[in-house]
Amino acid sequence: MGLLSILKRLRSSPDKELRLLLLGLDNAGKTTILKILSSEDINHVTPTAGFNIKSVTSDGFKLNVWDIGGHKKIRPYWKNYFENTDVLIYVVDSADKKRLEETGLELYELLSDDKLHDVPLLVYANKQDLTDALTASELAEALGLPSIKNRAWQIQACTAKEGVGVKEGMEWVCKNAKRK
Amino acid sequence: MFGKEMSMRQTSVVQQHNLNFLNFRYYRLFIFVVLISLLGYTFSSNNNSNVTNKSICLLYRHFILKRFMAMFSLWLLIKSWLHSLFKWFLRTTTKLCELQRICYGHMRGAGRFINTERSLNASKSPTIKKLVAHLNEVSDNQRFLGENKEELIKKSVKTILLVKKITRKIHPQFVQSFSECIDYIWSYKQMLAEVEVLRKTPYDADNLEHERRLDELWHLLMPNQPLECRITKQWQEIGFQGDDPKTDFRGMGLLGLENLLYFSREYNQHARHVLSHAQHPTFGYTFAIVGINLTSMALQLCRDGDARTYFYNKNVPSIVQFHKFYCYLFYEFDRFWIECKPKNIMEFSSIRDKFEFNIRKALEDHSAAFKLNVTIDNV
Repeated sequence: MGLLSILKRLRSSPDKELRLLLLGLDNAGKTTILKILSSEDINHVTPTAGFNIKSVTSDGFKLNVWDIGGHKKIRPYWKNYFENTDVLIYVVDSADKKRLEETGLELYELLSDDKLHDVPLLVYANKQDLTDALTASELAEALGLPSIKNRAWQIQACTAKEGVGVKEGMEWVCKNAKRK
Repeated sequence: MFGKEMSMRQTSVVQQHNLNFLNFRYYRLFIFVVLISLLGYTFSSNNNSNVTNKSICLLYRHFILKRFMAMFSLWLLIKSWLHSLFKWFLRTTTKLCELQRICYGHMRGAGRFINTERSLNASKSPTIKKLVAHLNEVSDNQRFLGENKEELIKKSVKTILLVKKITRKIHPQFVQSFSECIDYIWSYKQMLAEVEVLRKTPYDADNLEHERRLDELWHLLMPNQPLECRITKQWQEIGFQGDDPKTDFRGMGLLGLENLLYFSREYNQHARHVLSHAQHPTFGYTFAIVGINLTSMALQLCRDGDARTYFYNKNVPSIVQFHKFYCYLFYEFDRFWIECKPKNIMEFSSIRDKFEFNIRKALEDHSAAFKLNVTIDNV
């Protein structure tokens, strides 16, 4: 019955589906995080024109991850993907100090949108391997995260290209997903 | 308005003597058996209304699966046996080995080279296996070049003649065609290795040569508009994301830049024509970013071997041929994009996937010649 039980397990659908939205400025590392989540090769990442979507199963959850390009021209289309989002994942390049203000403004705009009202927020402080990267707590301070009161939020330090820290963030996501 | 354009994909229909036609029938039978079993499997799993039904279903499923496994292994056995028998039959009746039948039976080009490659890889002869491994190693290390290449081709032909007991004097035609097969097959592998080196080289803003090439790209695409400074919003006009293109090459490294540069240099008119489409207010897209994504597609097509049709029907594969393949893809993609009339750039992934599907489909026809054959009339 070995093969049969394997097939049965494959057929059984996970208990819950989650819709995750990966946003952030261009070159923050969104696609790399998506590839890490779906265990794909990250050496061939290209800038995202439009969006990528992947479904991954984790801890009995089926995660539908939407990775939307961060290019300035694409950002106006972000709002088309807000509907029914369970968790918002915002990726920041911790070493890109020049655009810290820009990324903060984009995040602020997202949080003030009605469709994302009370959606939990996970911020990945990516590229921790770079020497001039801000630490997670410095970044949280800079982005003004502690003043967020209307939703659950978390900041997670990570180095996506080495796969460090991504899993920890996803564990938080699965625990805190918005109850439907 | 867009200029009128014409692109013709000339497909020369070549009569081929396909000596392996019998194999296809077996594959069809095999797929039929698989489908029937799977159909039975899903059907039986659909009605699970009560307990008795469920156990019947389980039994049925188990039965089907067991049967399927048995049939599958039996099929594999029969297939390999039939294949050997078939080859032996052809060999004794035609007095030719498989490689000869391929070289004589297929027109010069993808059909002949791809079949030769398959035959060489499937060979059971230890000498041929060793030869293939050696050639692979040489091309992977980028040494399948110049004199070394000529030498290797001669030696390989000699080995094959010896193993297959072919007399050079009786089959001079075979020697010539087979040498060419070796040349194409391993030049392609050599090309893959060279392309990989470029891809692995990250764009380095401190490298003057890299910077010079980036600058050249701008001047080729925007000859009438000088670049104000190195870091400027102007880069967005040719479709980079921000003020500095250096972060946009990512996993494609220098290969992305080289591809764009070749397209803009060698097909300057075409490239600027495509750029003018990309800058269109409604159907526009980010030229450079899409270009870098197409580099990734070209690489993918070459790696999994589908692109061999293209390369084997052209001159001997080299990095220049890779750039040409890229130019063909870019020009065709642009045409396809405009045809699709996308609402905005968010449709890129779906249009990209459709385009890739079409290209793969076209590459299945071994006799297809892909030509960047265009005339641009600016009406």
